[in-house]
Amino acid sequence: MSRLRTHRPAALLVAAATALALAACGGGSGSGGGSSTVQEGGVFRLGTSSTIDSLNPFIAFQSDAYTTFEYIYPTLVQYTPSLKIVANFARSWKTSPDGRTWTFTTAPNAKWSDGKPLTAADAAWTFSTIVKFADGATANSAGYVAHLKSATAPNATTLVLTYAQPVANVLSQVQQAPILPEHIWAQYATGNGKALKTFQNNAPIVSGGPFILTKYTPKQVALFKKNPTFYGQKPHIDGFGLQFFQTTDAEVTALKSGQLDGVEVPVPPTSVATLKAAHFQVRSSPGVAFDDFIINSSPDQQASHKELLNPLLRQAFDHAIDRQAVVSTSLLGHGQPGSTIIPPATGSWSDPSIKPTTFSLDSANQLLDQAGYKMGPNNLRTANGHPMSYTVIMPSDRASEYGNRSFQIIQADFKKIGVQLNLKVLDPSAAYDALTANNYRNFEISMWDWYPLTDPDFMLSVLTCNSFDVWNDTGYCSKAYDKLYSDQSAAMQPSQRQQVVYQMQQMIASAKPYLVIDYPDSIEAQSSHWSPLAEVGGGSFNSMSIIPMDTVHKA
Amino acid sequence: MIKRGFFALVTIFVAITINFFLFRVLPGNAVTDLSRVPHASPALRHALLTEFGLDKPKWEQYLIYLNNLAHGNMGISFANQQPVSHLLLADLKNTIPMVTLGTVTAIVLGVFTGVLSAWRRGSAPDHASTNLAISAYAFPTQWLGLMLLILFAGTLPAGGMSDPFLFTAEPFWQHLADVGKHMILPAVTLMLTTYGSFTLVTRSSMLETLGEDYVLTARAKGLPARRIVWRHAVRNALLPVVTLIALELGFIVGGAVLVEVIFSWPGIGLAMYSAIGQRDYPMLQGGFLILTVSVILLNFLADLLYFRLDPRITA
Repeated sequence: MSRLRTHRPAALLVAAATALALAACGGGSGSGGGSSTVQEGGVFRLGTSSTIDSLNPFIAFQSDAYTTFEYIYPTLVQYTPSLKIVANFARSWKTSPDGRTWTFTTAPNAKWSDGKPLTAADAAWTFSTIVKFADGATANSAGYVAHLKSATAPNATTLVLTYAQPVANVLSQVQQAPILPEHIWAQYATGNGKALKTFQNNAPIVSGGPFILTKYTPKQVALFKKNPTFYGQKPHIDGFGLQFFQTTDAEVTALKSGQLDGVEVPVPPTSVATLKAAHFQVRSSPGVAFDDFIINSSPDQQASHKELLNPLLRQAFDHAIDRQAVVSTSLLGHGQPGSTIIPPATGSWSDPSIKPTTFSLDSANQLLDQAGYKMGPNNLRTANGHPMSYTVIMPSDRASEYGNRSFQIIQADFKKIGVQLNLKVLDPSAAYDALTANNYRNFEISMWDWYPLTDPDFMLSVLTCNSFDVWNDTGYCSKAYDKLYSDQSAAMQPSQRQQVVYQMQQMIASAKPYLVIDYPDSIEAQSSHWSPLAEVGGGSFNSMSIIPMDTVHKA
Repeated sequence: MIKRGFFALVTIFVAITINFFLFRVLPGNAVTDLSRVPHASPALRHALLTEFGLDKPKWEQYLIYLNNLAHGNMGISFANQQPVSHLLLADLKNTIPMVTLGTVTAIVLGVFTGVLSAWRRGSAPDHASTNLAISAYAFPTQWLGLMLLILFAGTLPAGGMSDPFLFTAEPFWQHLADVGKHMILPAVTLMLTTYGSFTLVTRSSMLETLGEDYVLTARAKGLPARRIVWRHAVRNALLPVVTLIALELGFIVGGAVLVEVIFSWPGIGLAMYSAIGQRDYPMLQGGFLILTVSVILLNFLADLLYFRLDPRITA
């Protein structure tokens, strides 16, 4: 399991984007198509190796559950393939001069699938309820309403969100929040709100998005039917199905044998050649995930590896990673060498001035010599009286993909600079606990990955002191960095915010709690009997947009 | 008999206790996984800890668990907030047909080939059968499963237990045929990886039995070979096989984790696999409780069967 599986991230414009962008702009519903040549009907069969853990948004945390909510419940806004935020249930919006009040105008005459009116009041109720129980029943959704004071609906098509302070990323926050039917859910939001988590919300679900979830069989399938009452442009397909697989091998085999029309990311790089040979559409585009080398950055870490705080050592390690070899051997060329923690595929928030560190064992050796770490017997250096031998913790899911191959490349090069790396594979839960154990004092190095969201706020928040024991996996804590984080959160001008975001990336590139190794491509495959699914944010089935399933049609 | 029953109950209680503490000793915990949503805060971790009762001392959690079990309550799954008993029952319904088919065919095939090998010991069919059994037994399940998956791609379904993309219910017999088709690959994988042990145990036991004086006497009396083997030798050679069968049948309830994962079969093995990753303690405790009880009960039944098969054994 990757560290952020609940939401797939954002990526660059991809092949199918041109036609889709037309559909998504102009404050419309975000749905597209409409060409007279489009063939209507059919059921798109998609395979996935994720799962739906719950149909209750206050319980779920798996990525496909969130994607399901995106398709069955309205969201105020959504992303386009070019990563612009455009209208969905909200048709337009404006901000007050002080940046604290956001007013959304929602789609008129909208209906839920049971015929009840879908209005701004449903949105106001949803946001208010999350705020009300943020420390309890709705705690898993509290991130959508950071700093929100109140949500009101003065009339059926107006939603007013009032914030305690200016918030730069309101749109990316509300994009993630599914709007729930108040007439179904309000009965559970009483008392301490505990009933909000006991309601199972089983299929068929009263829906307001382009599809209705008509059937869900745990660990087997979820079936979505076109919603005739949808407020936006209706999908071309009659519906789609999501079949759950436990292994990508079985998923790819099912695609090859015609049991599926498409498979969700990640398709293993090793399957690309055979799928292409079998005439499937295979798309390998810049991904938003990154693989990293984590160096313990806690100033209180054990004396036995305190040299890891030495900037010279970190620079040396950075030079000793052959990123190009990792990309060509581990990823089979389906990726890019890594540099900054905000991947270039997320768009303009990534600082282009930060380049991948050059691979040079000579430089690495010089830096370690300069730090005074003498080469000892058996070609192993000594630091502070002990051999430079470190345990590298890796989560098992990462190891079973290509992590082992990447590690072997890095391990071999580190040996040449007199540093021994020893791999320790743990399951993800145990791995994270090993990093945070004893207040980050114990671990030495780890190899893991990240799936940042399109907006940089979340990825930047990971390295704040407040994120200790929740997302912080480095032990890095800097008051200067935290100050910049607060500044970017409140910077209402995008250019001003971009400068702060760049500054933060430079701080991290210099302090090196993470050595970003690579950005793996987002690889998807589908049958040529269908038009290519639009890709939004590193995948065509995620919680960022309804465009992919809204626009797909038979080829 | 009463003594054996008492020991079975004590074993179940000990297993319940071990199941409770074992999973909590593992590094990692449920909150680590479930609190990993964007912008998660320490408040979310605290809310989950309180909700799951993990903020209480271990001994108090244990007493609550025992009290709930005594009232037939297996708890609520951390991962999806549904009653564990409902979830496990649904999983069991999926697991039992597939694993039963695989195990029963393995038993039949294993006993049959074991008897034939012993009867024709030293012959080419014996060598072929024994080597095949050893090979099948040695195959890693995941490798064999993947090979079958690739080999039968396009002919047999790659995963799941029925055609998933039907918006309307299909007629009963059609649905049954569909489930049967999906069951072939997982059941065959299970059968192939299991039958070898039955072959080898049966063969070994039969060889011992066939060397007994009464078999020689039967031959001297001119009884037909088939009658000697099936009527006299097999019955006496079955005791160790019955033990093995009892153990295997116990694991039917536990599912076959690897087979269910490879073929995405939504059974109890797959549920346990997911629960371990998520540290879903109530699901783990419930699943392992069912497994423990079924193994102990089937062994108890095997003991009873011993009395019938071999009158020399007394309680």
